[in-house]
Amino acid sequence: MKISYLFPNKFKNIGWFIFIPSALIGCITLVFEYEPSALDFNVFAIFIEELLGDTYFSGFVKNNILNEIFGILTILSSILVAFSKEKLEDEYISKIRLESLVWAVYLNYAILLVGFLFIFDLAFLWVMIFNMFTILLFFIIRFNWQISKLQKAIRYEE
Amino acid sequence: MKNSIKVERAKKDLTQADLAKLAKVSRQTINAMELGKYVPSTVLALRLAQIFKVEVSAIFTLEELDWE
Repeated sequence: MKISYLFPNKFKNIGWFIFIPSALIGCITLVFEYEPSALDFNVFAIFIEELLGDTYFSGFVKNNILNEIFGILTILSSILVAFSKEKLEDEYISKIRLESLVWAVYLNYAILLVGFLFIFDLAFLWVMIFNMFTILLFFIIRFNWQISKLQKAIRYEE
Repeated sequence: MKNSIKVERAKKDLTQADLAKLAKVSRQTINAMELGKYVPSTVLALRLAQIFKVEVSAIFTLEELDWE
C-alpha cells in the first residue's frame, strides 16, 4: 500500500532524538520563565496588541526568542515522531494510526473543555500553551502503546 | 467475520512470520486477523487467497453479526 502523507521510517528516530531534549528543556525554561537577555530581539510580527494600547497589523516587537526556538523544535520533531512510517507500515498499522489520532483529538479537547469550565484568566493561558503540544503527544503515546501491545501479543504466541 | 487463516497456514506449514513476508504485511496484522481483531482489506484478502491457492470465500465467511 502506497502512503504519501507519512515520512520515511528513518525520520522517526531523528524525531525522537530532537523531541525528547527540546520538549524537556522547553518545558523547564517555560515554567521557570528563563529568558536570557542574549536572546532578546526585535522581531517582525503580523499582529500586535500593545498592553493597554493600540492594536495593529504588522510591525516590530521586542521578544525573547527562546520559547519560539524550543516551541518550533518540539512541534516539528513531534510531527516526525508521530507521522513517520513504521518499519512495515501496512493497513492494520494505518487503522491503529487513525484510531489513535481520533482518540488524541477527543482527549485533547476534553482537557480543553475542563480548562474552559474550571480555569480562568491568565491561568487559562497555561492550558492553551500545553494544549498546543498535547494533541501530538497524546497521539504518540497512544499509538506507540498500541504497537507495543501488539508486539507483546506476538511474543506471547511464540 | 470468521476466517480460516490459521488452518490454511497450518496446511501449508507456514509460520505467522512466513505468511507475513509472503503477504507483505507485518506479523502483527497476521496475528490480529487470526484472532478476529482485524478484518483485512479486499486487496489483502485476495493476496492471502492467492498465497493459499484457494478462493477468498474459502478463507473468509460472513457471520450474522456482519449484517447488523
